Amino acid sequence: MKNRLRVLRAEKNWSQADLAQRLEVSRQSVNAIETGKFDPSLPLAFRLARLFDMTIEQIFIDDGSG
Amino acid sequence: MYCTKTAAQRRYRARTLFATTAYLLAIWGVTWMFRHRHPQGAAVYLLALAPELPIFAILAIFGIYLAEETDEFIRAVLVQSSLWATGVVLAFTTFWSLLQSYAPAIDLVVKVPMYWVFVLWCVSFGLAQPLVQRRYK
Repeated sequence: MKNRLRVLRAEKNWSQADLAQRLEVSRQSVNAIETGKFDPSLPLAFRLARLFDMTIEQIFIDDGSG
Repeated sequence: MYCTKTAAQRRYRARTLFATTAYLLAIWGVTWMFRHRHPQGAAVYLLALAPELPIFAILAIFGIYLAEETDEFIRAVLVQSSLWATGVVLAFTTFWSLLQSYAPAIDLVVKVPMYWVFVLWCVSFGLAQPLVQRRYK
C-alpha cells in the first residue's frame, strides 16, 4: 500500500532506525512499510498515526488494490 | 536472522542453543549405547526416541518464538520462510522417494536416512530467509 511515510519521516528528520526505535520494530519493518511492499497491521498503523499525530488515512493511500 | 536482535530473538537463540546441545548429547549417548551395550526390545525404541525429544523442543521453541515476536514484519518473513522450507522438503522427499521406487534397478539412487529430512528443513529455512526478505526491499 502506498504511503507518505518517507516524506513524514524526512520532515521530522528521522532516519529509518529512529522511526523503528520509536515504533519498537526493526528497521527492516520500517523500510518494507515505506516501500509499500509490506502492509502494517491495524495496531501498527494506529501507532504510526499517533506518532505523527495524523489519521491513518492521511498516511496511507488506499489505491483500491488491497 | 537480522542484525538487530529483538528480545524474542535473543530468547529464541538461547533456547535453541540449549535444545541443540541436548540433541547432540542425546545422539552421542544413544550411538554409544548401541555400539557398546547393544540394547534389545523396548529399550531400542526408547533410545531411538531420546534424540527426538530435543527435535520436538526445537520445533516448539520456534512456535513459541513466533508467538513472542512482536515485530510483525520479521514474523511474516519467518512464517513465509518456514512455508518455503516445508515446500522444499515435501517436494524433495517425494521426488527422492519416487526415484528410489523407480530407479533401484539402475542403481542411481543413494539411500538417504530419514533423519536428514529435519536437517534439510533447517537448511532450507535458513536459505529461504534472505530470499524472502529480498522481496520487501
